[in-house]
Amino acid sequence: MTVQTSQRKGSYLERPTPSSLADVIDTILDKGIVIDAYVRVSLVGIELITIDARIVIASVDTYLRFAEATNRLDLYEKGGEGLPEAIEDLQQGGAKKKTSGAIEGVKDGVKKAVTGGDDDDKDDGEQRRPAKKSSSRRRKEQES
Amino acid sequence: MTGAGVVSEDRELQVREGEGCYVYGIVPADASNVGLEGLDGAEVCLVRQGPVAAIVSVVHLERSAGRRDELLAHSRVLDAFAAAGPVVPVQFGAIVEDERAVREDVLADREQQFVELLAELSGVLQFTLQARYDEATVLAELVRDDPEIAGLREATRDAPEDQSYADRVRLGELVSQRLESRRQTDEQTLLDALEPHVMGHRVRPGASIDHLADLALLVDEEQREAFENAAEQLAADLHERARVRLMGPMAPYDFVGEE
Repeated sequence: MTVQTSQRKGSYLERPTPSSLADVIDTILDKGIVIDAYVRVSLVGIELITIDARIVIASVDTYLRFAEATNRLDLYEKGGEGLPEAIEDLQQGGAKKKTSGAIEGVKDGVKKAVTGGDDDDKDDGEQRRPAKKSSSRRRKEQES
Repeated sequence: MTGAGVVSEDRELQVREGEGCYVYGIVPADASNVGLEGLDGAEVCLVRQGPVAAIVSVVHLERSAGRRDELLAHSRVLDAFAAAGPVVPVQFGAIVEDERAVREDVLADREQQFVELLAELSGVLQFTLQARYDEATVLAELVRDDPEIAGLREATRDAPEDQSYADRVRLGELVSQRLESRRQTDEQTLLDALEPHVMGHRVRPGASIDHLADLALLVDEEQREAFENAAEQLAADLHERARVRLMGPMAPYDFVGEE
């Protein structure tokens, strides 16, 4: 699916239209008025989906991932490279993907279940990276 | 199933055996049908009952799992109607037997409730604002601002994993706590800046490290420009630390549910 992001010139505000699949799921799942169950037809392949995807947070595993993410900031203090490079390294290396990926694992799992693990889901995730990169690039330009 | 006497836009809604009516949402009876394709490319129709109408299309009940297109169709149809006037979204996945059930069981029962909701939603738009930290930047802030975090990080960074286990758990716990309190402060800053321009808001929860805020915002059409300018300003203020995305206007998904 194509996600078009329009932006006013010189603006930092992203205006995605239409929304990506991930955005649509966040937007519509569990939202809206509910039609009474006795009125509804039962059917195959589509059903009301009620989920609580936010059950992950306070566990040792999660803490270890926060610690790992923090420890990966190595380059920030060691001189040599400045913060922007460190950020870019972090984003381009697997580190970011590993940490946030794991923490969002449950939610992604839900999305996969909902969408049948469609390839486009992956595309939506990758859409985010160029924008991030360009924001750290912007930062670099301003500092130099 | 009869399928008889079902007229919408002078067309008969044919619901055959093995089919049902997918219900997208409720609009005023005088809303115009914008001629969209709904689930499975079926034509979207209006089924009217007194002062209200349901947005529906015919679907097969035996379906293969392909929910991606269904989700997208659901939101596409609702957003298109929302662009033209008030609409009450129905939760994704609602299918009823036939056109009679749409009129009698869905619309007639709650007619008054729908009329009131539609009146409230007239002239207002929903936007969704999503803010995500630049993860490395916000984590670096925490290391810089909290000596205990900096110390634990120093102690665990190059230490063997099994020896530093307790410290790493403690580090992660501290980071997640400090991050959450920072996030709450930043979220409140967003809300304070937007509040003058919105009629209502809902805070959606999030779970990722970079989550700053997901806000559903109800905006009066007349306030739209001021609201968008405020969002622009927030994005500019935050750009060193976070990305801000603004989606909409869209159907008022977050402002009709039973909470």
